[in-house]
Amino acid sequence: MKIRLWRVSVMLAIVICLSMNSAWAAEVRGVTDKEIKIAWLTDLSGPGKYAGPPMCDVARDFVAMVNDQGGINGRKINLIIEDNGILPSTTMNAAKKVILKDEVFVIAMNLGSAGSRAILPLCEENKVVVMPHGANKDFYSPGNKWVFVPHTVQFDMAARAVDYILEKNSKARIGMIYQDDDFGREGLAGATAAAAVMKTKLVAQAPYKTGTIDFSPHMTTMKEANVDAIVLWTYLPQSAAIIKQKVKMGWNVDLISNNTTDSPALFALAGEAAEGYMLVTPYAPLHLTNLPGVQRLREMNKKYGNPAKTLDDPAYNSYLYASSYGYLVALAEGLRKAGRDLNPETLIKGLESIKDFDMGGLCPNITFGPKQHVSSFSSMVLKADAKTKRFVIAAPIKEPKITQN
Amino acid sequence: MANFKVSYRADTALLQNLWVKSWLIIFIVAMLLLPFLLHRYELSILIEMGIAVIGALGLNLLIGYTGQISLGQGAFVAIGAYTSGLLAGTLGLPFLVTLPLSGLMAAGLSLIVGVPSLRLKGLYLALGTLAFGFIVEYIIFHWDLTRGDLGMAVPKIGTQGFFIETERQFFYLIMFFAAIATIVAKNLTRTKIGRSFVAIRDRDTAAEAMGISLAKYKIMAFAVCAFYAGVAGSLMAYYQKWIVPGNFDISLSVAYIAMIVLGGVGSILGSVLGAILITGIPHGIVYLTDALRATYPHLSNLVVDLKLGIFGLIIVLTLLFEPQGLVGIYRRIKVYWKTWPFKY
Repeated sequence: MKIRLWRVSVMLAIVICLSMNSAWAAEVRGVTDKEIKIAWLTDLSGPGKYAGPPMCDVARDFVAMVNDQGGINGRKINLIIEDNGILPSTTMNAAKKVILKDEVFVIAMNLGSAGSRAILPLCEENKVVVMPHGANKDFYSPGNKWVFVPHTVQFDMAARAVDYILEKNSKARIGMIYQDDDFGREGLAGATAAAAVMKTKLVAQAPYKTGTIDFSPHMTTMKEANVDAIVLWTYLPQSAAIIKQKVKMGWNVDLISNNTTDSPALFALAGEAAEGYMLVTPYAPLHLTNLPGVQRLREMNKKYGNPAKTLDDPAYNSYLYASSYGYLVALAEGLRKAGRDLNPETLIKGLESIKDFDMGGLCPNITFGPKQHVSSFSSMVLKADAKTKRFVIAAPIKEPKITQN
Repeated sequence: MANFKVSYRADTALLQNLWVKSWLIIFIVAMLLLPFLLHRYELSILIEMGIAVIGALGLNLLIGYTGQISLGQGAFVAIGAYTSGLLAGTLGLPFLVTLPLSGLMAAGLSLIVGVPSLRLKGLYLALGTLAFGFIVEYIIFHWDLTRGDLGMAVPKIGTQGFFIETERQFFYLIMFFAAIATIVAKNLTRTKIGRSFVAIRDRDTAAEAMGISLAKYKIMAFAVCAFYAGVAGSLMAYYQKWIVPGNFDISLSVAYIAMIVLGGVGSILGSVLGAILITGIPHGIVYLTDALRATYPHLSNLVVDLKLGIFGLIIVLTLLFEPQGLVGIYRRIKVYWKTWPFKY
């Protein structure tokens, strides 16, 4: 009887506790009269930690600039940088920390597609707009109210790569080496779709697992298929390994890769063999100081950052600095358009009202809309100049013939 | 300090004396009140710990009590999570159905490693379970049904307008299941099954000679371990509402091993303490970096850079100074106060 009473009491307590819920807070989380808290999640200790420092540098420089100019609509930015380790589990920890503990208003950057997807329910539940880097089609097709991607997505960049090859040679045989994950398969989907539009197809495909260092089987597959060009949806170390393999095989095949390999480190890894290597990216190289957008970026870095250790350092990953800058510009414009009455819904409306925001040639102009949460589908083609250890523009910003939207 | 029992029932009671009962009541009251005192973030950490406790209990029953090494705990957690995701998301089954089914699915698939374990021991068994883990990871990554790297949404728990959504609600739910799991594990170790596990661990040849069926109890140990992991995976899936293969890689299996080694192998309390410690360390580092950020930003950045190293250092130091794990510290403190002011 005693035990039964005890058990009933415990069950009753649990039922009462489960049915209790928190009252909705009157204030907007992360927004006060004087400041807006924004979170910046990037990898500082995990597999993608090479990306963390440049992404943090631009965030600090931009926020310093905005705050120096009086903030946005009278509110200064309180930037919270958190290490997300790029993996889904560590990203979830970081997101929970910034949303539940720091109570940020928006996550202006999250590095890593898989991690971004893992935290999406948390963001939706807490009404937090999130801007994932390395976005995937799930984020924008069919689209998510809380997700904005101020970056050309992988699908469209891969499509642009195939378009470029076929524009040069409509009968080109195209092969593809891609990382066997979300990122790589997104590129494969774009390349396949673009080839289909031109009534052709990829004649060879060779996926590889993360961490692969020997690409001889993959390149042998490409050679046996007699391809004229290989689309590489790989990261930097793999691209460099493939370039070396190509040289080893004595095979003069065109290689065209993606924006993640837009780094001076490619020249350090591949040396002279990097000559002629192409990549597709939405961001212009930052040595093109004639572009107004590049000038604005460099001025910001000069005044609020440390140019000697960042953009003026030839070994610095300036692509990541520039691409993250696009996120901050998009968010700042969205906050501006949202006005003083700032809450998650007005921010979404503010972002969706951005139309053809001029980026001064640095990257495609930013446009969002109620049914378009991806800013652009365009990208340019760059070619590596091994002598100057720089990338030059081989084809200007242009949309592919097929877009994922 | 005498502690005499005058009946078999009293001797086999789970709560041996008034002291233990009092502390348990205080603990239960504290757990009921905590959600009203703690912030959502702190509750989310406790929820993670609760889920980890369930997985660690199962693994300790296998490794600590039966002596069968397993590096595939992450795989069983994944099986539980994806089973729940598929049953709830695709078939619309309720939580109270998917939870036990997730455990049963993991237990059923544990036969894949449980049966070979009859012929494997030590490092070979460890490699076998590790391979199983990689196979499961490959399948969930490439199978269309599990949506690969894209991940899978898991519906909310609830129906008819009532859903378990807030951290507070999840806290009570997870703690309830963690408590049940702990009580069941504790009782299991006191039964014939538990004693058979220990006999197999201590000397399997002698155990077999005494009439204990090695096949039956080794497979049972794997099944129980996998069931616990499946339940933990299911609860994790419902709490996070989105599961990706990256959540269940080898690092999860290693984390569970670390939990039971640091907590105390062959101890139920050790499983709980180890789960709390291993889950808590990364969050502790976050608190430390936050505390240092304003005053010592460079030191804060250094801590972030050395995060993994700090984690490893804590584990190494704990093992060096307390090879029996956290439960060893607890036992020493307990003996000290029991015998105080005497030394022996």
